[in-house]
Amino acid sequence: MNIDLESPVRRQPPADIDPRRLAAQIRLEATRMVAPQGFGYLGQALSSAEQVAAVFADLDWNRDRFICSPGHYIIAPYAAAGALGLLTREQLDSYGKNGSPLEAIGTESSPIVDYTCGSLGQGLSAAAGFALADKLRGGHAGRVYALISDGELEEGQTWEAAIFAAHHGLDRLIVILDANDSQVDGPISSITTLEPMRQKWESFGWHVADIDGHDVDTVVAALHEADSERCKPSVLICRTSTVHGLDCLPEDADGHFIKLPPQLAAAAEAELTRTLETL
Amino acid sequence: MQAPEAARFRTAPYPTTLKPYGQALTKLAEERPDVLCVTGDLTRQCEIDLFQDRFPDRFIHAGMAEANMMSMAGTLARSGFTPFVHTFGVFATRRPYDQIANAIAYPNLPVKIIGFMPGLSTPGGPSHQAIDDVALMRVLPNMTVIDVADAVEVAQVVPAIADIDGPVYVRLKRGEIPVIFPEAHELSLTKAQTLVEGDDVAIFASGMMLAAALGAAKALAEAGVAASVVNVPVIKPLDRDGVLAAAGQAAAVVSAENHSIIGGLGSAVAEVLAEAGLGRPMRRVGVADTFGEGSLNAPYLFEKYGLGTQALIDAAWSAMGRGDNPPQAPVAPAATGEYAPV
Repeated sequence: MNIDLESPVRRQPPADIDPRRLAAQIRLEATRMVAPQGFGYLGQALSSAEQVAAVFADLDWNRDRFICSPGHYIIAPYAAAGALGLLTREQLDSYGKNGSPLEAIGTESSPIVDYTCGSLGQGLSAAAGFALADKLRGGHAGRVYALISDGELEEGQTWEAAIFAAHHGLDRLIVILDANDSQVDGPISSITTLEPMRQKWESFGWHVADIDGHDVDTVVAALHEADSERCKPSVLICRTSTVHGLDCLPEDADGHFIKLPPQLAAAAEAELTRTLETL
Repeated sequence: MQAPEAARFRTAPYPTTLKPYGQALTKLAEERPDVLCVTGDLTRQCEIDLFQDRFPDRFIHAGMAEANMMSMAGTLARSGFTPFVHTFGVFATRRPYDQIANAIAYPNLPVKIIGFMPGLSTPGGPSHQAIDDVALMRVLPNMTVIDVADAVEVAQVVPAIADIDGPVYVRLKRGEIPVIFPEAHELSLTKAQTLVEGDDVAIFASGMMLAAALGAAKALAEAGVAASVVNVPVIKPLDRDGVLAAAGQAAAVVSAENHSIIGGLGSAVAEVLAEAGLGRPMRRVGVADTFGEGSLNAPYLFEKYGLGTQALIDAAWSAMGRGDNPPQAPVAPAATGEYAPV
C-alpha cells in the first residue's frame, strides 16, 4: 500500500458542518475502520464523537491547530475527515494496515491533526508550546484545540502544562477533555480518584465548563464561550461513555478496546446507518 | 595540511575564562531572532542570566517541570523557533527521556538541549552527576551528541549547533572553563582532530578529559612512549574514518571520558573498531559502571574515580601490555575555581 499523504493535510472542509450529523458519521466511519480487524479503538470514537464534531465544525484549518493528545483517539479525527471528504474511502480503509500512514496509534506521519502522541500525557504541553509560540510572535489569531483524555490526568506532565498555560495566560488554548472514565485496567474511578476535576482545573487557574459530552449543542456552546475567554486557558470537561450511541454493543464491552466480530460489526453498521438517516 | 603541534594547543597550566557559553548564546541571539532561551529553574547556573537580561522577551521560565519543558520546546521548534533548553545534564536527560524521544528526536526538530555539570564535574552526588547522559542521548535516532573540551570550543559550538537542522545534546562544564586551544582553533563537527602524533598508543578524549589526555601523552613521551591524542568533541555522529585512521596507526587504544565507560565515547570507538575488524588492545577510562558520590570538590572525585592523568597513563601502559611500572604523572596543583553542588 502506498498512499501519498503530506502531514498535516491542509484542506478547507465544507463551510457548513452540522456537528450532530458529523458525530453520527464519526461513529459510522469508525465502525467501518475497525471492522476488518474485528477489534480496535472504537470506544474512543464513540465517546469523543460530539467533541471532535463540534471542534471540526468550528475549525479554521488555515489558522487554528488541532492536537489529538492520545494517539489511539486518532480514529475519531480520521473518521471525521473521511466524512468531510478530507480523506478518501481508500485511505480510511487503510487504517491500521501494514504500510499505511493512517496508523492505529497516531505518529509523525499522521495526517489531519497538527500533533498527536502515542506516549500519553504529552499533548497538553505540545499545545501550550504552540500557543506560546503564537503569543511570542505577538499574534493571537489562531486557536489551539487540544483533545485530551481523563486517563492522561494521571500523568504529572499534564499538570505541569496546566500550571504553565495558566501562568502565561494562554487564552487561545482550548482543551476538550474526554472524561469517559475508561482506561486499560478498567474504569478510571476504580483505579485513581481524579475528582473533583472541575475544582482541580479551576484551582489551577483555568476557565472550566463541566458538561454532558454527548449533548452536541452544549459542547458547541461551551466551545464558543471558551473562544470568548480572555486571559485564561479553557477546558471543557466532557462527561461521556465509550459505548454511547451504539446500542447493539454488549453491556460488558471493554470500552478501551472494543471487540467487533463480523456479525456485531454488521449490526453496528446497520444501526448507525439508521441513526444517520433519522438526522 | 595540519598545523604544527605547538600551534594546535596551549601549554599547561591553561588559563581559564568565565561563562563562555552564556556569552556565546547571547551573541548568537543578537544575530538570530529565532533563538529562544528556555530554562528549568537553573538560570544563573546555566550562564543564561546574561541572555535573560539582554533578551527578556525571548527568555522562557519553564520552572521545575522538565517533561513539559521538553515537549513545549518541540512545538516551539515546529513553530519556527530554535529553542536552546537549559538545565543540568541529569535533569535534561533522565527525567524527560520519553519527551525528548517522542517530541524532539523522533520528529527531528532543531531543539538544542544543553546539559550542564557533566559527569563528576559536580560534587553534588549521584543525583546531580550526569554519568549516563551521553549514552542516553546517543541511542536516540537523529540526535547529535557533543562534549567539548575548552572555552574556545564552547564559544564556537553555540553558532555551530544552531545551524544543525535537528536535535542536539551538548554537555557543558559550567563556570570557569580552561582555554586549551589557541584562538585560531576551529571546532569541527565532522572530524576528530589529532592534536599529538604517536604510534604506540592512541588516546581518544572528549570534554574535560582532553586536558588529562594531553598531560598523559606528555608524561608517556618522557618515558619513551609515543602516544597520539585525538580530540573527539562530537560523539555522535562519530568520525568513523578519523577514529579508524588514528587507531590504525597505533598499537593500542585508550578512550577517555568524564562519563560511564558504558555507552559513551569508549563504547562508540569500540563499536567502530570492532565493525572494521581493527583489532587493538583497548582500555576505556571513565566512570567504571558505578555511581559517584557527594564531596567537597570535583578534583577529589576525578582522582578517586580514576579520571585523572595517572589513570590514563596506567590504562595506556596496560593496553600496551607493559609489565613494568608505568611512569608517574607530575603532581599538578588541584584545579582552583568555582565548584558548587548547584
